[in-house]
Amino acid sequence: MKPELLRAFARSLIVQASWNYDRMVGVGVAYVMEPLLRDLGGAQAELRYRRALTRVASFFNAHPYLTGMAAGALARAEHDGLPEAQAERLKNALIGPLGSVGDQLVWAGWLPLSAAAGLIVAATVSPPAGVAAFLLGYNAVHLGLRAWGLAIGWRSGIGVAGALAGRMLQLGVRFGALAALFAIGVALPLVLARLAEGFQARERLAALVVGGLGLVISRGLAPTVSGVKLGLLFLLSALVAGWIWR
Amino acid sequence: MNLAPLGLWLWGALAGLDLVALGQFMVGRPLVAGTVAGFLAGDPAAGALLGMTLELFALDVLPVGAARYPDYGPATVAGTAAAAGAPGLLGLGPGVAVALVVAYLGEWAMQVVRRRNSADVQHHRPELDAGDPASLRRLQLRGLLREAVRAALVTAVGLVLAAAVRRWLPLGVGASVLMGAVGLGVAAAVAAGGALRLSGRGGARAWFAAGLAAGALWVAAR
Repeated sequence: MKPELLRAFARSLIVQASWNYDRMVGVGVAYVMEPLLRDLGGAQAELRYRRALTRVASFFNAHPYLTGMAAGALARAEHDGLPEAQAERLKNALIGPLGSVGDQLVWAGWLPLSAAAGLIVAATVSPPAGVAAFLLGYNAVHLGLRAWGLAIGWRSGIGVAGALAGRMLQLGVRFGALAALFAIGVALPLVLARLAEGFQARERLAALVVGGLGLVISRGLAPTVSGVKLGLLFLLSALVAGWIWR
Repeated sequence: MNLAPLGLWLWGALAGLDLVALGQFMVGRPLVAGTVAGFLAGDPAAGALLGMTLELFALDVLPVGAARYPDYGPATVAGTAAAAGAPGLLGLGPGVAVALVVAYLGEWAMQVVRRRNSADVQHHRPELDAGDPASLRRLQLRGLLREAVRAALVTAVGLVLAAAVRRWLPLGVGASVLMGAVGLGVAAAVAAGGALRLSGRGGARAWFAAGLAAGALWVAAR
């Protein structure tokens, strides 16, 4: 593998370090792309190198694991001598698909699926086994996706959109969230049964009532309340009740 | 010399740094952060308990784009520190409460870091507009450093809060168990609510329902 690609891959692991509301991940993607532009040839290579970095750093947003695909494709386009206006259009055209495919594939699919699988193993085998299953499974796909994205972007350049339409990716987008929902469904009773082992019937009933009430609040009465706030509301109420009960 | 607090602090900082800025290998997920923190605190059972419970909360979160989301890594480490050493399930409720406060603090601190990053980028606009690679490198490294400081500070505050709760929270056995049951119930509600939101209104809910049925059968068969 080309050393510049390895360098770009290593840099992609901190692509979001300077994430901000103005340029989002633009600075990070320019930082990832920079090693791939160092050997730009032809006339005005230094000027093109700098203008490419400026263009990407001005604004970019995508799923972090797929930013390497954008960096690779945009760098390849520079090597291929794509006119500036077209390179700008390519950059803008990648933002939406790389964001939505990545979000559906990873955040709504692979991450909850892996976490639920980890919970199932933790509840049925042992917590360390659950941790190992989760980290190994999740990161095999995570790192594979980063490496594949960078390599395919670098290879495809302006034709990178074809890679996003690939069969495996589309299957992942289509079925990832469904598989995650199934796995979360399996995990919930197993984890609850495991965690409630030390409770008496009275406390189990309390947990059941709170669970039902919490679901009614979060799905019906106040759907914008976050899980953290809902949890704090209930726990604060329990704390006050416990204090009085003491 | 007891090195557990130092180990927990370093682990919490690493878990917080993993959330966005470094790698996103998911070592900051509650299941991972809690299990490791349990070993570091000398109470693996408490760590596993907190990790699994808070993982249910984390299933609700879709860390999409510019969304605000809680930082459960340092939170789980602090929650485990609050729960460690308590017999049975007595530490679960106070541990979850500490963790949720710290998760919210981490979420707020992340907004502060992102605004600082914005100011930094605006300050170095001339270099960025000139396509200066050194300024890109410096901005990335300063952002990484800010995130490391944020994660370390959030974890430190969390560990102090955990120590305060362990020392001063005046709860009897019954009240502690009640808090644990409430924590577990609300964690289940949050996870189920998140799954229902993810499924939308279409047929995807059938997948969740099928999973629940399979999970319930598995529990019954065990």
